[in-house]
Amino acid sequence: MIEVVRLSKRYGDKVAVDDVGFTARPGRVTGFLGPNGAGKSSTLRILLGLDAATSGTASINGKRYRDLDRPLRTVGALLDGAGPVPERRAVDHLAWVARSNGIPPRRVGEVLDVVGLADVARQRVRKYSLGMGQRLGIAVALLGDPEILVLDEPANGLDPEGIRWIRTLLRDHAASGRTVLLSSHLMAEMAGTADDVVVIDHGRVVAQGPVAEVTAGHPSLEAAFFALTGDRPGPGR
Amino acid sequence: MSAVPRTSPAPTGRSSRTGTTGAVLHATRAELSKILTLPGVWIVTGIILALDVLVMSASAGLYAEAVANITPDGIIEIFIGEPQAATVAVLDMLVASSLQIGVFLPIPAAVIAGQEFRSHQLGLSVLAVPRRGRLLAAKVLATTAYLLVVAVLIAGISTAFTYAAVRDWNPGLLLTGDAFLGQGRFVVFAVLFSLTGFAITVIARSTLIGIAVTVVLLALTMMRSPARTGPGLDAFLPAGAGRNLLLDAGANHLSAGPVHGLLVLVGWALATTLIAGITLGRRDAR
Repeated sequence: MIEVVRLSKRYGDKVAVDDVGFTARPGRVTGFLGPNGAGKSSTLRILLGLDAATSGTASINGKRYRDLDRPLRTVGALLDGAGPVPERRAVDHLAWVARSNGIPPRRVGEVLDVVGLADVARQRVRKYSLGMGQRLGIAVALLGDPEILVLDEPANGLDPEGIRWIRTLLRDHAASGRTVLLSSHLMAEMAGTADDVVVIDHGRVVAQGPVAEVTAGHPSLEAAFFALTGDRPGPGR
Repeated sequence: MSAVPRTSPAPTGRSSRTGTTGAVLHATRAELSKILTLPGVWIVTGIILALDVLVMSASAGLYAEAVANITPDGIIEIFIGEPQAATVAVLDMLVASSLQIGVFLPIPAAVIAGQEFRSHQLGLSVLAVPRRGRLLAAKVLATTAYLLVVAVLIAGISTAFTYAAVRDWNPGLLLTGDAFLGQGRFVVFAVLFSLTGFAITVIARSTLIGIAVTVVLLALTMMRSPARTGPGLDAFLPAGAGRNLLLDAGANHLSAGPVHGLLVLVGWALATTLIAGITLGRRDAR
């Protein structure tokens, strides 16, 4: 279970995350929604120990991420801002990640098969397309067979078949009693995948709960999202 | 794409080690993997070793000629107009040959450290090893192991070329305690100086800045202007300390003794690594 309590993050005068609190429970996919710059990535980075919180706490199964023993066996994460060196081969990239947490080497081949990169595993990452890079990131997240997945925009760059695959993967993961925290801009995708949603805007949580509850009175999750964030569908903020 | 196979529920054998020691061991193995799978490290190391062979080859003929002309009372003239006792001069030349290439070792050290700040790899490294002190310890251990191997290779190359020159005069000279002590001191210098460059790169978060600062530290000693910098300052610079540790005071103008040199090198490596640890721990992993 993921618990975020009264979390805040400031960069000088700018407030990136303001008193954010939510829970992502086992057996459910929790969607984390918000416009660009709303504070989603900052929240996830604090949760995973990459950035320090100004105040508040974020815990995984009651512990800070940094206090987990071999954390990749508990949490698999895909974050924008945590990627491979382009000159390294994909298989080597996965191998060092596996070694860092005592994950058996055979898992490298297994996750490469799972994400469909087995045939190009010995290519340098710089030769990968955006979608292949995204699949490599998902492979890293799956390496430790974690009970919790934290994925930031996992569908970015994936083709329709890949998007359907990631949706099925996340649903299966939750169905087996595991926890999924999913950040995405794709409203239709989120509506079809998430059980619960947390909507964040300008660093603050503006709504959270089961999808049906948050979308009550709106024709779709997208309509509810724009109503909650005060935005109108269009070219952007 | 297909369904996700599960890992074994309970890891066994080596992967079951827990606690700080086990975590550092896993992290160090991961860091070694990073070093050995980064093409830039191999390229830079290859260039340094090739340069070593090239430089040694270029001077091999002149050196062999000087050895062939050693006088019956054991005097050699490696540099024209500078006669020296042959045994001391050859051993000094052996270490100096290693040193002239060893000063480039901070470059692969900076490449190793700098990879973290390219393409946001640091974020993934911290995800894998979230305790920053543990991560840095693993990096230092793995980098030290790699540098140790390269420094020994450089010492081996200079020993091989020196042997080719002296084998008809005194083939056993390179197996004496003094020869091993000299090369051992070189390896210690090369590793400590390179770790300083490694730590500076982590502090600056840039390979180029790491290399540039190391070059400046070297240049301050290479220019050898004690009138401007003072002999005291030279003794506290890492390259100056290296000269003091390695070279013979009788044949070279040095600013301090070998023990002082060793302490200064250890001090630089420790201080910069400590600062690197503090900056790595305090800053966000970006």
